[in-house]
Amino acid sequence: MNTLISGVPLTYYLSLAAAMFAIGVLGVLLRRNAVVIFMSVELMLNAVNLVFIAFSKSMGIIGGEVIVFFVMAIAAAEAAVGLAILVAIHRHKKTVFVDEINLLKW
Amino acid sequence: MPEELQPQSILFFILSGVCIGSSLAVVLHKNPVISAVSLVLSFFSLAGIYAVMNAIFIATMQVIVYTGAIMVLVIFVIMLLSLREETNLEIWRNPVKQIAIVFVVCIFGGILVASMNFNPEIGNGDPIESYKFLIQNGQNSGVEVKGNTASVGASTFLQYLLPFELVSILLTVAVIGAVVIAKRDKLNQS
Repeated sequence: MNTLISGVPLTYYLSLAAAMFAIGVLGVLLRRNAVVIFMSVELMLNAVNLVFIAFSKSMGIIGGEVIVFFVMAIAAAEAAVGLAILVAIHRHKKTVFVDEINLLKW
Repeated sequence: MPEELQPQSILFFILSGVCIGSSLAVVLHKNPVISAVSLVLSFFSLAGIYAVMNAIFIATMQVIVYTGAIMVLVIFVIMLLSLREETNLEIWRNPVKQIAIVFVVCIFGGILVASMNFNPEIGNGDPIESYKFLIQNGQNSGVEVKGNTASVGASTFLQYLLPFELVSILLTVAVIGAVVIAKRDKLNQS
């Protein structure tokens, strides 16, 4: 276990990832605009990627970087499907604010 | 804690400051277009942090996939939907949002404390310069490559081949699904 990555302690990378994840959660909980909520989810995915790379470099195991590559592919798929759903909802309801979308309410 | 400040540490602090600042701008700015541009800046600085960590392949992929592909998609959708600005966030008046902020602070503190106390003994800690894959056929044959990109590539195609193929199926399904969902419904068109 190597606690220094390029001269920077592992804890700093983990703290940065924690801050980014917390900001992402904040965005999901506070914002009403579905596109901004979507971008906050991307922010959380990037925080997790940073943790994967930090531990991969710290432990000397290459698998973490491969998994980050897979996470990026899945984020791309999620972006395509999520934005398509947003476009479809906007066509029906003429809004993307999540408190005005109540299609499942009866 | 390093004694003298190395150029990599300075780069890390600058880039992480830019990253956190632009992430806050994503969440707190009212205009979604400015949020998207701040998110591009955040992804760029994160790519710089990956480069500081010597993960060159992932840094390149961060720039190409996230800032090149995903963010262009997001900005196109923002322009398609012609979003209006949100009204004031009013964080301190709404009790649900106050609870949300307390919740987020608890998450942040918990992760911070956990990461400070983290000290496992896994792996040998050697920096990754090469990757070796042994083929299990009784002989001592194997593949060994040098360099970050070659190591990630060899690991992807030798050790993680099945997940790689499954991701390709997932991407195909996602593309077809996105087209089907976003297509105009012919029955309701009238």
